[in-house]
Amino acid sequence: MSAMTTSTGATAPAASSSVPSLTSVFVHLKLSLLRNGLKQSGGRTAVYIVSIVFGVLFAAAMVLGFVLLRGSADAATIAVLLTGVVALSWAVMPLFVPGGDETLDPSRLVMLPLTPRPLVRALFVASLVGVGPVLTLFLAFGAALSVAHGAAATVAAVFAVPLTVAVCVALSRALAAANIRLLTSRKGRDLAMLSGLVIAVGMQAVNFGAQRLSRPGGLAALEPAAAVVDWLPPAAAIGAVDAAGDGEYAAAAARLLLTAAALAALVYWWQRSLVRLMVEPDGSTIGASPGGDAREKSAGTGLLSRILPGGRTGAVMERSLRYMWRDPKTKAAWVSSLAIGLIVPLANAFQGAGSIYWACFASGMLGLLMYNQFGQDTSAFWMVAQTLSTTADAYAELRARALALLLVTLPYATFVTVLTTAVLGDWARLAEGLGLAFALLGAMLATGAVVSALFPYSIPQDSGYKNVAPGQTGLAWISIFGGMLAAPLLCAPVIGATIYLHLSDQDSLLWLLLPAGTLYGALLVWAGLKVAAPRTASRLPEILAAVSKG
Amino acid sequence: MPDQAFEGKFDKAGAAPGEGAAPAVRVEGLWKRFGQQIAVSGIDLVLPAGRFIGLVGPNGAGKTTTLSMITGLLRPDQGRIQVAGHDVWADPESVARVKARIGILPEGLRLFERLSGRELLAYSGRLRGLPGAEVDKRATQLLDVLDLAGSQHKLVVDYSTGMRKKIGLAAALLHNPEVLFLDEPFEGVDPVSAQTIRGVLERYTSSGATVVFSSHVMELVESLCDWVAVMAAGQIRAQGPLAEVRGDAPSLQAAFLELVGANGREAAGDSLDWLGGGGNGGGGAR
Repeated sequence: MSAMTTSTGATAPAASSSVPSLTSVFVHLKLSLLRNGLKQSGGRTAVYIVSIVFGVLFAAAMVLGFVLLRGSADAATIAVLLTGVVALSWAVMPLFVPGGDETLDPSRLVMLPLTPRPLVRALFVASLVGVGPVLTLFLAFGAALSVAHGAAATVAAVFAVPLTVAVCVALSRALAAANIRLLTSRKGRDLAMLSGLVIAVGMQAVNFGAQRLSRPGGLAALEPAAAVVDWLPPAAAIGAVDAAGDGEYAAAAARLLLTAAALAALVYWWQRSLVRLMVEPDGSTIGASPGGDAREKSAGTGLLSRILPGGRTGAVMERSLRYMWRDPKTKAAWVSSLAIGLIVPLANAFQGAGSIYWACFASGMLGLLMYNQFGQDTSAFWMVAQTLSTTADAYAELRARALALLLVTLPYATFVTVLTTAVLGDWARLAEGLGLAFALLGAMLATGAVVSALFPYSIPQDSGYKNVAPGQTGLAWISIFGGMLAAPLLCAPVIGATIYLHLSDQDSLLWLLLPAGTLYGALLVWAGLKVAAPRTASRLPEILAAVSKG
Repeated sequence: MPDQAFEGKFDKAGAAPGEGAAPAVRVEGLWKRFGQQIAVSGIDLVLPAGRFIGLVGPNGAGKTTTLSMITGLLRPDQGRIQVAGHDVWADPESVARVKARIGILPEGLRLFERLSGRELLAYSGRLRGLPGAEVDKRATQLLDVLDLAGSQHKLVVDYSTGMRKKIGLAAALLHNPEVLFLDEPFEGVDPVSAQTIRGVLERYTSSGATVVFSSHVMELVESLCDWVAVMAAGQIRAQGPLAEVRGDAPSLQAAFLELVGANGREAAGDSLDWLGGGGNGGGGAR
């Protein structure tokens, strides 16, 4: 670093008249990046504008909400806790958008002759530019507004609002810099892939929590939490405004000082991490060094290969099963299918509005996993294509993939149906529920195999949210919705038989639906594979081209 | 420039294949268009068996497209391709025979990267219908020879570029193919891994097998290959034994630049007169 310092020192006097400060350079860089993000494509511009409009509306609604909250007994609790939640989301944001902010990526700055202190100052100011900080500013403003009563509180708010925003941004940056090795490593990127799932589950939790809290007196449950968060920066700054309004000037000052100290500590931590990062390798290098961990294993490929059949069937099943756990995209798809397949029937059953037929929802969700089989392979499908040449090969390949799916989905669909029945206490209808679930699962696997062959599309591997490559959205919709419409139609005989038996009051024969549905489902899978196999075999180059765009 | 015919030009190394022997690859009138752009425009190519063959050309010449069509990964618009005497794009039986006889290492396509190196080999060997025990035996030897034994249980996604190329090569060799197609096998590979790959390939061709690889590193092609085909702008500019294609030029590099018409670009540096020479030219001085 010292050599770099001297070189900057030497150039500075000569150029000081024309060279802008580092901070303004970074702020301009940030603004250019924001602008260029707009220019990239029409669709993206539209999305950006829509998100800005929504952001503005959201900010306005938030401030309005806080104004309405003014005077309410729970105002302080809500303001403090919301600030805490926002700070928490700033803390986890680097995980969701790793390397999302190019101006702040230290590895891009490592070649420039920069000293740590001006660098951190410039980066910090630049990172205050953006949609996120502006929204946070609105929130902090609203939160302060809801609790600011009196002149002292207003004075406290003048300090508290900018401090809150600054602490949020510094927290996010410091955490990202300290964990950059995790975030840039494969494991970190894998985690980011699952972040979409975390958001989905988090929304359910928020939904559930909101329902609980909206009951009379529900907010009282939050008071102990608020009492703690009240002293945690940056929420402590909002707490200071409240305290100042209540005349507790010492507590208010202490909270403000605490927040300022936290800001200083975070910036210092960030600066130290940056200095260290400039001279250390990033995570990607460490993972790739050879001979890192050479755990000795037996020459065979483990337990799975001993249980599964040999040849293509076993190899394909083994690979599919491994990918369920190891591939973040596949894992995310599985976890969401399994979770939604369980939650929807059970939630309905618990609310008393349920019926055994909701258990078929699990079959539908799990059957979706058969869709776009080759897209799930990404362009590595060439390895499969190289070994497929006849219809018989393609049939074996598709059958093995269906079998791997069945290994998990069949027990799971059974489990969900039994559990739903148990919650409903309607054991008499278990047999027909199972029969329908199996028939639908079979229909989904059958249609899945066919659309996998006819409408393959790429799944981008670098994004946790996008599941269709640009330009193939139409294909994906045809494939998924066509299949989801076709599957119930294919099940029509079983559904028809169920309705007939109920209408004609032949309840004693309803158990027949279990063997009939199972058999019919198996027949559908077989037929689906037979239809899909020749189409797969003859379309290998086209499938490879379609799945190689991600 | 007309394509050079290959008949009767097996003088190099003396070991010409028998007159009746099928060439490793025979391509006739091969075309491929992507929208407006013509990637491969009607090439004819005959690659003799048992040689180390280099397919050279600048970026965008159509090398990858050609290799993809020859190996059955990309459907040609027009033309006929035979590999080891079997038509690549005819009936399924013929295609099956071709696929069983070739190994490929494509560029820019993924592997099943969430498998470990050993699992990847086990998987691809079993897909090819080899018995499990045999696959495991060959995998162990290949991993040893390619210096991957220490990383065999690591996921391929964590491999470096050189390790990826080596595991790809191992997967391509596992079923002992007659013809091996490698697209830029040395691109981004460190010298140690490159030497390992080279050693394996030389051993493989010395047993009578054919290697066809694409590259734009002329020194490499010159030192490895005994037969070259030069491609530019979707056409074959020359093909034949190395010595013949090189002709009177001092090196393959010079002959290549001549063939693709890239000579006379040296003057492009005139406008950079401030560059170098003590830095007396402008703002960056101190």
